[in-house]
Amino acid sequence: MERKIVQPKLQNKIVLFDKKELGAWLIMLPSILLFLFFIWIPLLSNISLSFYDTIGYTKHSFVGLEKYREVLADPIFLKALVNTAKYTFWSVIIGFAIPIILALLLSEVIHLKGFFRTALYFPNIVPGLAAVIMWKFLMDPDPSGVLNSILNSGSISPLPWLNSQALVIPLIVLTMTWKGAGATTLIYLAVLQSIDNTYYEVARLEGASVWQRIRFLTLPYLLPTIRMLFILQIISVAKVFYEPLVMTGGGPNYASISLLQLIYHYIFKMGDVSKAAALGVIVAIILFTLTAIYLRISKKSS
Amino acid sequence: MESLKSKTSGIITFSDYKKTSYKIGYGIMIVILVLFVILTVFPPIWLFLASFKSAKELYQIPFTLFPDRFDFGKVINIWDTLNFAKYYLNSFVVIIGAVVCSVVFNGLLAYAISILKPKGHRIVFGLVLGSLMIPPILSMGPLFNNIVQLGLINSYLPLMVVFGANPFYFILFKTYFDGLPESLIEAAQLDGCTKLQIFYKIILPVSKPIVMVVSIFTVNAAWSDFLLPYLVLLNDAKQTVMVKIFMLQSNMGTSMNFGPDTLLVVLSLSIIPPVIFFFIFQKQITSSVATTGIKE
Repeated sequence: MERKIVQPKLQNKIVLFDKKELGAWLIMLPSILLFLFFIWIPLLSNISLSFYDTIGYTKHSFVGLEKYREVLADPIFLKALVNTAKYTFWSVIIGFAIPIILALLLSEVIHLKGFFRTALYFPNIVPGLAAVIMWKFLMDPDPSGVLNSILNSGSISPLPWLNSQALVIPLIVLTMTWKGAGATTLIYLAVLQSIDNTYYEVARLEGASVWQRIRFLTLPYLLPTIRMLFILQIISVAKVFYEPLVMTGGGPNYASISLLQLIYHYIFKMGDVSKAAALGVIVAIILFTLTAIYLRISKKSS
Repeated sequence: MESLKSKTSGIITFSDYKKTSYKIGYGIMIVILVLFVILTVFPPIWLFLASFKSAKELYQIPFTLFPDRFDFGKVINIWDTLNFAKYYLNSFVVIIGAVVCSVVFNGLLAYAISILKPKGHRIVFGLVLGSLMIPPILSMGPLFNNIVQLGLINSYLPLMVVFGANPFYFILFKTYFDGLPESLIEAAQLDGCTKLQIFYKIILPVSKPIVMVVSIFTVNAAWSDFLLPYLVLLNDAKQTVMVKIFMLQSNMGTSMNFGPDTLLVVLSLSIIPPVIFFFIFQKQITSSVATTGIKE
């Protein structure tokens, strides 16, 4: 008796279930196609192209790992790899502490709070391309350049700025920091403002100095955010592209060329699509590794 | 001016500020902030002022911040010669399309994965999350080639729909939808709404805050976007503001028609719309950056 009742119900459910599935998949379909078209299909084509000699985008002959060998033997690739490490190093030195300090100051200051926050965030509103061209102007190596004029008023002789192989990467990082620090500051500020004030009161009553309050209360509270933003920063610096492309073209003498910029260089300057594809795969592996490290650490800290 | 007596929370409070040394410390904090503010606002201010200078005045020694005179004629002349209204208009068209695609496609995908959860939705979710770590430039070559093959050169379509495949915006939508009460959707189902109707009649209206955040991010990103637009928009009549700037800057010195003074004016023109936009939506922008952790 019971079976007879259950079965038709179950069948009914299965039919409904299928219809529900189909409808949901139809709703996802356009978006999935877009993700495939813009991200996954180009990536797969890249992997496949990297094993061939190509004429334009047409595969000509299978060459195995020859294109990878060419990339690894390219002295410019080596430069780009070292440069990416330099970008990372300088972005940690120049860009990492500034947002933390600014957030601490913003959370402590009560005068002109809104003005300071808006003004510090302001560079984020400037479109990236406009920001880097503007800084290129400011860093004009000519004695009439803006920064050189400021140096001159302090009787310091003009600097070559972006024309200097030693200065070029720190200066590009400075520009990136100028553009991005305000947003990172806001993220830290939001965390600082979520700290329960009673902790500070207790610490004060127990006679903790300001430094001790920061050292034993504020910083530990910020630490998970600091750790996360640190790794995200390293991953995003590994993706540096348009800043050197626009500011220096990768020069002087490839001193500022980045890995992604080299892909662009291979395709649009040298017309070697499969070499660019091989480099794309190499960079993808590097980014994949960094992301895996990030995921492992963020799992640990949560 | 507020008094330090009203400082009752945070690391240092009014009771600390009774000491003179702390008051001096507070003064130093203000000074440091002022110095940073000079660093952040001086370059754009210089840019706006320098836009009024002639090419000759730009390279004049000694350096002056202010132009000899505010030559609006020069700015208007450049606007007319370049026919700049056209690039503004093109940018606006792309932005409107980008915002629609961004909300509809990322929103629908998030709706399906967060609420409908059809069999296999986890695979799609994985693919979308995986695309977070792939910068678009990595496989720019094949993507560009596919766009050419589809005959989409000089078309705005790829520049708009590319914003429909954005893993960041998708995550924002999904996180928001995950927090919606189930009863809301169940009620709609009982009313006999189709899945698509539930999305635009029920979900979107209650998700206004996140639609707003994603739209604001998309407006800024679409305005600043230049690489794909530069590769796709070969016809000058179709180009956007950023493409024009990228071309002016890469051809600078090779053409007699424009010099650095022209580029400065065009840069200022490219900054003005986002600045106006920022001051209209200041509250939403600063709070969404802080809570979502997305910077652009």
